[in-house]
Amino acid sequence: MNKTVTFVSLLLVSVLIITVQSTLLSPRNAGHLIPDLNLIFIVFLAVYSETRGGFLLAAGNGYMMDVLSGNLPGTFTISRLSAYILVRTSSNHVYLKKALVLGLVIFLSTIFTWTFILTIIRIKSDAGFQLSFGDIILQGLVNSVVGVPLFWAAGRIHARFQK
Amino acid sequence: MGFFKRRTILIVLVLFFIAIQLFSLDLRERNSQNPVSKLVLNITYYPQMAVSGVTDKAVSAWRDYIDLMHVNEENKRLREELLALRQEKFESAEIKAQNARLKKLLDFKDVSLYPVVSANVIGASPSILRSQVVIVDKGAADGITEGMPVASYNGIVGRILLASDKSSEVLLITDPVSAVDAYIHRTRARGIVKGVGSGCVMEYIENKSDVSVGDKVISSGKDGFFPKGVIIGTVTDISPSGSFISAGVSPHVDLNSLEEVVIIQKSVNNVVLNE
Repeated sequence: MNKTVTFVSLLLVSVLIITVQSTLLSPRNAGHLIPDLNLIFIVFLAVYSETRGGFLLAAGNGYMMDVLSGNLPGTFTISRLSAYILVRTSSNHVYLKKALVLGLVIFLSTIFTWTFILTIIRIKSDAGFQLSFGDIILQGLVNSVVGVPLFWAAGRIHARFQK
Repeated sequence: MGFFKRRTILIVLVLFFIAIQLFSLDLRERNSQNPVSKLVLNITYYPQMAVSGVTDKAVSAWRDYIDLMHVNEENKRLREELLALRQEKFESAEIKAQNARLKKLLDFKDVSLYPVVSANVIGASPSILRSQVVIVDKGAADGITEGMPVASYNGIVGRILLASDKSSEVLLITDPVSAVDAYIHRTRARGIVKGVGSGCVMEYIENKSDVSVGDKVISSGKDGFFPKGVIIGTVTDISPSGSFISAGVSPHVDLNSLEEVVIIQKSVNNVVLNE
Protein backbone atom coordinates (compact mmCIF):
# COMPACT_ATOMS: atom_id res chain seq x y z
CA MET A 1 0.00 0.00 0.00
CA ASN A 2 1.09 3.54 -0.75
CA LYS A 3 3.02 5.17 2.14
CA THR A 4 0.80 8.25 2.16
CA VAL A 5 -2.39 6.20 2.27
CA THR A 6 -0.96 4.11 5.11
CA PHE A 7 0.02 7.25 7.00
CA VAL A 8 -3.41 8.87 6.57
CA SER A 9 -5.16 5.62 7.59
CA LEU A 10 -3.04 5.34 10.72
CA LEU A 11 -3.69 9.02 11.48
CA LEU A 12 -7.44 8.40 11.29
CA VAL A 13 -7.05 5.36 13.54
CA SER A 14 -5.15 7.60 16.00
CA VAL A 15 -8.04 10.08 16.12
CA LEU A 16 -10.51 7.22 16.53
CA ILE A 17 -8.50 5.73 19.40
CA ILE A 18 -8.11 9.04 21.23
CA THR A 19 -11.85 9.65 20.79
CA VAL A 20 -12.74 6.29 22.33
CA GLN A 21 -10.25 6.89 25.12
CA SER A 22 -11.66 10.33 25.89
CA THR A 23 -15.29 9.23 25.83
CA LEU A 24 -16.22 5.58 26.42
CA LEU A 25 -12.90 4.54 27.98
CA SER A 26 -12.02 7.71 29.86
CA PRO A 27 -10.65 7.02 33.36
CA ARG A 28 -13.27 9.49 34.61
CA ASN A 29 -16.11 7.37 33.26
CA ALA A 30 -14.70 3.86 33.31
CA GLY A 31 -12.48 3.94 36.40
CA HIS A 32 -8.72 3.59 36.57
CA LEU A 33 -8.55 -0.02 35.39
CA ILE A 34 -9.02 0.75 31.73
CA PRO A 35 -6.58 0.00 28.92
CA ASP A 36 -4.44 2.76 27.49
CA LEU A 37 -5.30 2.15 23.82
CA ASN A 38 -3.15 5.09 22.77
CA LEU A 39 -0.03 3.48 24.23
CA ILE A 40 -0.86 0.06 22.78
CA PHE A 41 -1.22 1.75 19.39
CA ILE A 42 2.20 3.38 19.78
CA VAL A 43 3.77 -0.03 20.46
CA PHE A 44 1.96 -1.28 17.36
CA LEU A 45 3.39 1.60 15.33
CA ALA A 46 6.88 0.86 16.64
CA VAL A 47 6.60 -2.74 15.46
CA TYR A 48 4.74 -2.42 12.16
CA SER A 49 5.04 1.07 10.68
CA GLU A 50 7.91 2.60 8.74
CA THR A 51 10.25 4.72 10.89
CA ARG A 52 9.58 8.31 9.81
CA GLY A 53 5.78 8.04 9.63
CA GLY A 54 5.63 6.04 12.85
CA PHE A 55 7.81 8.60 14.62
CA LEU A 56 5.49 11.44 13.58
CA LEU A 57 2.38 9.47 14.49
CA ALA A 58 3.81 8.52 17.90
CA ALA A 59 4.56 12.19 18.59
CA GLY A 60 1.10 13.19 17.34
CA ASN A 61 -0.60 10.61 19.52
CA GLY A 62 1.36 11.78 22.56
CA TYR A 63 0.47 15.37 21.75
CA MET A 64 -3.24 14.55 21.54
CA MET A 65 -2.95 12.89 24.96
CA ASP A 66 -1.27 16.04 26.30
CA VAL A 67 -3.94 18.37 24.95
CA LEU A 68 -6.90 16.29 26.09
CA SER A 69 -5.37 15.62 29.52
CA GLY A 70 -5.58 19.28 30.50
CA ASN A 71 -3.12 20.79 28.01
CA LEU A 72 0.00 19.27 29.58
CA PRO A 73 3.43 20.61 28.52
CA GLY A 74 4.57 17.78 26.25
CA THR A 75 4.74 15.14 28.97
CA PHE A 76 2.93 12.47 26.97
CA THR A 77 4.47 13.56 23.66
CA ILE A 78 7.99 12.98 24.90
CA SER A 79 7.37 9.90 27.04
CA ARG A 80 5.50 8.13 24.23
CA LEU A 81 8.07 9.16 21.67
CA SER A 82 10.76 7.66 23.91
CA ALA A 83 8.75 4.45 24.24
CA TYR A 84 8.37 4.37 20.46
CA ILE A 85 12.13 4.72 19.95
CA LEU A 86 12.91 2.04 22.54
CA VAL A 87 10.46 -0.51 21.14
CA ARG A 88 11.42 0.37 17.58
CA THR A 89 15.11 -0.21 18.17
CA SER A 90 14.61 -3.40 20.15
CA SER A 91 11.67 -4.97 18.30
CA ASN A 92 13.97 -6.79 15.90
CA HIS A 93 15.50 -8.68 18.78
CA VAL A 94 12.39 -10.12 20.30
CA TYR A 95 10.01 -12.65 18.90
CA LEU A 96 6.80 -10.64 18.97
CA LYS A 97 4.58 -13.31 17.49
CA LYS A 98 4.53 -15.10 20.83
CA ALA A 99 1.70 -13.77 22.99
CA LEU A 100 3.79 -13.91 26.15
CA VAL A 101 6.65 -11.89 24.64
CA LEU A 102 4.22 -9.40 23.14
CA GLY A 103 2.42 -9.04 26.47
CA LEU A 104 5.76 -8.45 28.15
CA VAL A 105 6.72 -5.79 25.60
CA ILE A 106 3.42 -3.97 26.13
CA PHE A 107 3.79 -4.30 29.91
CA LEU A 108 7.37 -2.97 29.88
CA SER A 109 6.43 -0.13 27.51
CA THR A 110 3.68 0.90 29.92
CA ILE A 111 6.03 0.70 32.89
CA PHE A 112 8.65 2.70 30.99
CA THR A 113 6.34 5.54 29.89
CA TRP A 114 4.68 5.91 33.27
CA THR A 115 7.96 5.66 35.19
CA PHE A 116 9.24 8.37 32.85
CA ILE A 117 6.26 10.56 33.82
CA LEU A 118 6.38 9.56 37.49
CA THR A 119 10.05 10.57 37.71
CA ILE A 120 9.26 14.01 36.28
CA ILE A 121 6.38 14.40 38.72
CA ARG A 122 8.61 13.44 41.64
CA ILE A 123 11.30 15.90 40.51
CA LYS A 124 8.69 18.63 40.19
CA SER A 125 6.89 17.66 43.37
CA ASP A 126 4.94 20.93 43.50
CA ALA A 127 3.04 20.11 40.30
CA GLY A 128 0.28 18.48 42.36
CA PHE A 129 -0.20 15.31 40.33
CA GLN A 130 -0.89 12.09 42.17
CA LEU A 131 0.27 8.82 40.69
CA SER A 132 1.55 5.75 42.47
CA PHE A 133 3.72 2.90 41.25
CA GLY A 134 0.85 0.56 42.06
CA ASP A 135 -1.33 2.42 39.54
CA ILE A 136 1.42 1.99 36.95
CA ILE A 137 1.74 -1.76 37.52
CA LEU A 138 -2.03 -2.20 37.28
CA GLN A 139 -2.13 -0.14 34.09
CA GLY A 140 0.67 -2.29 32.66
CA LEU A 141 -1.20 -5.52 33.43
CA VAL A 142 -4.46 -4.24 31.94
CA ASN A 143 -2.65 -3.00 28.83
CA SER A 144 -0.98 -6.39 28.37
CA VAL A 145 -4.19 -8.37 28.75
CA VAL A 146 -6.14 -6.12 26.38
CA GLY A 147 -3.20 -5.31 24.12
CA VAL A 148 -2.22 -8.84 23.05
CA PRO A 149 -5.53 -9.74 21.31
CA LEU A 150 -5.83 -6.21 19.92
CA PHE A 151 -2.30 -6.40 18.59
CA TRP A 152 -2.97 -9.76 17.02
CA ALA A 153 -6.15 -8.50 15.30
CA ALA A 154 -4.47 -5.27 14.18
CA GLY A 155 -1.48 -7.23 12.88
CA ARG A 156 -3.76 -9.40 10.72
CA ILE A 157 -5.58 -6.33 9.34
CA HIS A 158 -2.24 -4.68 8.66
CA ALA A 159 -0.94 -7.77 6.87
CA ARG A 160 -4.07 -7.91 4.67
CA PHE A 161 -3.65 -4.26 3.69
CA GLN A 162 0.01 -4.80 2.88
CA LYS A 163 -0.81 -7.54 0.33
CA MET B 1 16.88 4.13 11.86
CA GLY B 2 20.59 3.46 12.22
CA PHE B 3 20.99 6.76 14.03
CA PHE B 4 18.24 5.76 16.52
CA LYS B 5 19.75 2.31 17.07
CA ARG B 6 23.23 3.56 17.86
CA ARG B 7 22.12 6.28 20.22
CA THR B 8 18.84 5.06 21.71
CA ILE B 9 19.75 5.60 25.35
CA LEU B 10 21.29 9.00 24.62
CA ILE B 11 18.18 10.13 22.71
CA VAL B 12 15.85 8.95 25.47
CA LEU B 13 17.97 10.77 28.07
CA VAL B 14 17.89 13.98 26.05
CA LEU B 15 14.12 13.64 25.65
CA PHE B 16 13.81 13.10 29.40
CA PHE B 17 15.65 16.34 30.16
CA ILE B 18 13.55 18.21 27.60
CA ALA B 19 10.42 16.84 29.30
CA ILE B 20 11.63 18.05 32.70
CA GLN B 21 12.31 21.51 31.29
CA LEU B 22 8.87 21.69 29.69
CA PHE B 23 7.24 20.45 32.88
CA SER B 24 9.05 23.15 34.83
CA LEU B 25 6.85 25.72 33.11
CA ASP B 26 4.28 26.74 35.64
CA LEU B 27 1.12 24.82 34.73
CA ARG B 28 -1.08 27.65 35.89
CA GLU B 29 0.75 30.32 33.96
CA ARG B 30 1.16 28.41 30.71
CA ASN B 31 0.19 30.12 27.51
CA SER B 32 -2.92 28.30 26.33
CA GLN B 33 -3.10 30.20 23.06
CA ASN B 34 -1.20 27.46 21.24
CA PRO B 35 -3.05 27.02 17.91
CA VAL B 36 -1.94 23.38 17.56
CA SER B 37 -3.60 22.48 20.88
CA LYS B 38 -6.78 24.17 19.69
CA LEU B 39 -6.55 22.28 16.40
CA VAL B 40 -6.39 18.97 18.29
CA LEU B 41 -9.49 19.95 20.29
CA ASN B 42 -11.26 20.90 17.06
CA ILE B 43 -10.28 17.66 15.32
CA THR B 44 -11.56 15.53 18.18
CA TYR B 45 -14.77 17.57 18.57
CA TYR B 46 -16.85 15.85 15.87
CA PRO B 47 -15.96 12.23 16.73
CA GLN B 48 -16.49 13.00 20.42
CA MET B 49 -19.88 14.54 19.64
CA ALA B 50 -20.78 11.45 17.58
CA VAL B 51 -19.75 9.00 20.32
CA SER B 52 -21.40 11.13 22.99
CA GLY B 53 -24.61 11.31 20.90
CA VAL B 54 -24.72 7.55 20.35
CA THR B 55 -23.97 6.85 24.04
CA ASP B 56 -26.68 9.29 25.16
CA LYS B 57 -29.19 7.65 22.81
CA ALA B 58 -28.29 4.17 24.06
CA VAL B 59 -28.58 5.27 27.70
CA SER B 60 -31.82 7.08 26.94
CA ALA B 61 -33.27 3.99 25.18
CA TRP B 62 -32.36 1.83 28.18
CA ARG B 63 -33.93 4.32 30.58
CA ASP B 64 -37.07 4.43 28.40
CA TYR B 65 -37.30 0.67 28.59
CA ILE B 66 -36.96 0.72 32.38
CA ASP B 67 -39.50 3.54 32.55
CA LEU B 68 -42.00 1.59 30.43
CA MET B 69 -42.06 -1.12 33.04
CA HIS B 70 -43.59 1.33 35.51
CA VAL B 71 -45.58 3.31 33.01
CA ASN B 72 -49.11 2.54 34.24
CA GLU B 73 -48.73 3.73 37.80
CA GLU B 74 -46.54 6.58 36.57
CA ASN B 75 -49.27 7.62 34.14
CA LYS B 76 -51.90 7.75 36.87
CA ARG B 77 -49.62 9.74 39.14
CA LEU B 78 -48.69 12.13 36.36
CA ARG B 79 -52.34 12.86 35.52
CA GLU B 80 -52.90 13.88 39.11
CA GLU B 81 -49.73 15.92 39.07
CA LEU B 82 -50.76 17.61 35.84
CA LEU B 83 -54.00 18.82 37.38
CA ALA B 84 -52.12 20.18 40.37
CA LEU B 85 -49.55 21.85 38.13
CA ARG B 86 -52.23 23.51 36.01
CA GLN B 87 -53.63 25.07 39.14
CA GLU B 88 -50.14 26.08 40.23
CA LYS B 89 -49.34 27.52 36.79
CA PHE B 90 -52.42 29.72 36.99
CA GLU B 91 -51.42 30.95 40.44
CA SER B 92 -47.80 31.39 39.33
CA ALA B 93 -48.84 33.53 36.36
CA GLU B 94 -50.77 35.73 38.71
CA ILE B 95 -47.79 36.09 41.03
CA LYS B 96 -45.46 36.76 38.06
CA ALA B 97 -47.67 39.54 36.80
CA GLN B 98 -47.82 41.05 40.25
CA ASN B 99 -44.05 40.71 40.59
CA ALA B 100 -43.45 42.47 37.27
CA ARG B 101 -45.63 45.35 38.36
CA LEU B 102 -43.80 45.64 41.67
CA LYS B 103 -40.42 45.48 39.92
CA LYS B 104 -41.39 48.30 37.63
CA LEU B 105 -42.57 50.20 40.63
CA LEU B 106 -39.22 49.83 42.34
CA ASP B 107 -37.31 50.46 39.10
CA PHE B 108 -35.60 47.11 39.63
CA LYS B 109 -33.27 46.13 36.81
CA ASP B 110 -33.81 42.46 36.13
CA VAL B 111 -30.46 41.68 34.57
CA SER B 112 -28.07 38.97 35.63
CA LEU B 113 -24.52 40.03 36.45
CA TYR B 114 -22.92 37.90 33.74
CA PRO B 115 -24.31 36.16 30.66
CA VAL B 116 -24.20 32.37 30.72
CA VAL B 117 -23.86 29.66 28.06
CA SER B 118 -25.12 26.13 28.69
CA ALA B 119 -22.96 23.26 27.46
CA ASN B 120 -23.00 19.46 27.37
CA VAL B 121 -20.12 17.27 28.52
CA ILE B 122 -18.95 15.29 25.48
CA GLY B 123 -15.68 13.83 26.72
CA ALA B 124 -13.13 13.60 29.49
CA SER B 125 -9.42 13.21 30.01
CA PRO B 126 -8.00 10.08 28.34
CA SER B 127 -5.26 9.60 30.95
CA ILE B 128 -4.98 8.54 34.56
CA LEU B 129 -2.40 11.29 35.17
CA ARG B 130 -4.92 14.08 35.04
CA SER B 131 -8.39 12.62 35.08
CA GLN B 132 -10.14 15.68 36.53
CA VAL B 133 -10.68 17.30 33.14
CA VAL B 134 -13.84 17.20 31.02
CA ILE B 135 -14.57 18.42 27.49
CA VAL B 136 -17.71 20.43 26.71
CA ASP B 137 -19.36 21.17 23.37
CA LYS B 138 -19.04 24.97 23.47
CA GLY B 139 -15.97 26.94 22.46
CA ALA B 140 -14.62 30.26 21.26
CA ALA B 141 -17.36 30.46 18.61
CA ASP B 142 -19.87 30.71 21.48
CA GLY B 143 -17.86 33.40 23.25
CA ILE B 144 -15.97 31.07 25.56
CA THR B 145 -12.44 32.02 26.61
CA GLU B 146 -9.84 30.51 28.91
CA GLY B 147 -10.39 31.15 32.60
CA MET B 148 -14.19 31.47 32.49
CA PRO B 149 -15.88 29.81 35.47
CA VAL B 150 -18.05 26.75 34.91
CA ALA B 151 -20.94 25.82 37.19
CA SER B 152 -24.06 23.70 37.33
CA TYR B 153 -27.34 24.48 39.05
CA ASN B 154 -25.78 22.86 42.14
CA GLY B 155 -22.61 24.95 42.39
CA ILE B 156 -19.10 25.44 41.06
CA VAL B 157 -17.73 22.85 38.63
CA GLY B 158 -14.40 24.31 37.48
CA ARG B 159 -12.98 26.70 34.93
CA ILE B 160 -12.14 26.74 31.22
CA LEU B 161 -8.58 25.56 30.66
CA LEU B 162 -8.43 25.59 26.87
CA ALA B 163 -11.01 26.81 24.36
CA SER B 164 -11.01 25.87 20.70
CA ASP B 165 -13.64 27.05 18.21
CA LYS B 166 -16.12 24.27 18.89
CA SER B 167 -15.20 22.76 22.23
CA SER B 168 -13.42 23.55 25.49
CA GLU B 169 -11.59 21.77 28.26
CA VAL B 170 -12.83 22.29 31.79
CA LEU B 171 -10.46 21.87 34.73
CA LEU B 172 -12.63 20.53 37.55
CA ILE B 173 -12.29 21.89 41.08
CA THR B 174 -11.16 18.42 42.16
CA ASP B 175 -8.00 18.63 40.02
CA PRO B 176 -4.86 19.09 42.14
CA VAL B 177 -3.93 22.17 40.08
CA SER B 178 -7.27 23.86 40.78
CA ALA B 179 -7.53 26.51 43.53
CA VAL B 180 -10.59 28.57 44.49
CA ASP B 181 -10.58 31.41 47.00
CA ALA B 182 -13.44 30.62 49.37
CA TYR B 183 -15.35 31.45 52.54
CA ILE B 184 -17.09 29.35 55.13
CA HIS B 185 -20.62 30.63 54.59
CA ARG B 186 -21.62 30.66 58.28
CA THR B 187 -18.56 32.41 59.74
CA ARG B 188 -16.89 34.04 56.70
CA ALA B 189 -13.61 32.25 57.57
CA ARG B 190 -11.46 32.42 54.46
CA GLY B 191 -9.29 29.79 52.80
CA ILE B 192 -8.26 28.22 49.51
CA VAL B 193 -10.17 25.21 48.17
CA LYS B 194 -7.81 22.88 46.35
CA GLY B 195 -8.55 19.68 44.47
CA VAL B 196 -7.28 16.32 45.67
CA GLY B 197 -8.67 14.09 42.93
CA SER B 198 -11.52 12.44 44.77
CA GLY B 199 -12.69 15.66 46.42
CA CYS B 200 -11.41 18.99 47.70
CA VAL B 201 -9.63 20.37 50.71
CA MET B 202 -9.91 23.91 52.08
CA GLU B 203 -6.48 25.04 53.22
CA TYR B 204 -5.01 28.09 54.94
CA ILE B 205 -7.99 28.72 57.24
CA GLU B 206 -6.82 30.73 60.22
CA ASN B 207 -6.39 28.71 63.41
CA LYS B 208 -8.82 30.80 65.45
CA SER B 209 -11.56 30.49 62.82
CA ASP B 210 -14.88 28.85 63.63
CA VAL B 211 -15.32 25.91 61.25
CA SER B 212 -17.59 22.89 61.80
CA VAL B 213 -18.42 19.76 59.88
CA GLY B 214 -21.46 20.46 57.73
CA ASP B 215 -20.59 24.11 57.08
CA LYS B 216 -21.22 25.29 53.51
CA VAL B 217 -18.23 26.60 51.55
CA ILE B 218 -18.82 29.39 49.02
CA SER B 219 -16.59 31.24 46.55
CA SER B 220 -15.23 34.59 47.70
CA GLY B 221 -14.78 36.03 44.20
CA LYS B 222 -11.31 37.24 45.11
CA ASP B 223 -9.34 34.81 42.95
CA GLY B 224 -10.33 36.57 39.76
CA PHE B 225 -12.00 33.52 38.25
CA PHE B 226 -15.15 32.61 40.13
CA PRO B 227 -18.04 34.91 40.94
CA LYS B 228 -18.71 35.65 44.60
CA GLY B 229 -21.16 33.59 46.64
CA VAL B 230 -21.46 30.44 44.53
CA ILE B 231 -21.60 27.23 46.57
CA ILE B 232 -18.58 24.92 46.31
CA GLY B 233 -19.33 22.18 48.81
CA THR B 234 -19.76 21.07 52.40
CA VAL B 235 -17.10 20.62 55.10
CA THR B 236 -16.70 16.91 55.88
CA ASP B 237 -13.77 16.89 58.30
CA ILE B 238 -11.39 19.29 60.00
CA SER B 239 -7.73 18.84 60.89
CA PRO B 240 -4.91 21.12 62.05
CA SER B 241 -2.29 21.90 59.41
CA GLY B 242 0.69 23.73 60.89
CA SER B 243 -0.49 27.16 61.96
CA PHE B 244 -3.67 26.80 59.91
CA ILE B 245 -6.76 24.60 59.79
CA SER B 246 -7.40 22.29 56.88
CA ALA B 247 -10.94 21.15 56.07
CA GLY B 248 -12.05 18.34 53.78
CA VAL B 249 -14.72 19.59 51.38
CA SER B 250 -17.18 17.41 49.53
CA PRO B 251 -18.16 19.20 46.28
CA HIS B 252 -21.83 20.10 46.05
CA VAL B 253 -21.92 19.10 42.40
CA ASP B 254 -21.67 15.38 41.61
CA LEU B 255 -18.66 15.73 39.32
CA ASN B 256 -18.64 12.03 38.46
CA SER B 257 -21.95 12.18 36.65
CA LEU B 258 -21.65 15.58 35.08
CA GLU B 259 -23.77 15.96 31.93
CA GLU B 260 -24.75 19.60 31.55
CA VAL B 261 -22.93 22.68 32.79
CA VAL B 262 -23.23 26.42 32.56
CA ILE B 263 -20.28 28.57 31.50
CA ILE B 264 -20.35 31.99 33.10
CA GLN B 265 -19.06 34.52 30.57
CA LYS B 266 -16.96 36.41 33.00
CA SER B 267 -13.53 37.14 31.60
CA VAL B 268 -10.53 37.53 33.85
CA ASN B 269 -10.20 41.17 32.70
CA ASN B 270 -13.78 41.83 33.76
CA VAL B 271 -13.03 40.51 37.19
CA VAL B 272 -10.08 42.78 37.64
CA LEU B 273 -12.14 45.75 36.54
CA ASN B 274 -15.30 44.91 38.45
CA GLU B 275 -13.98 43.59 41.71
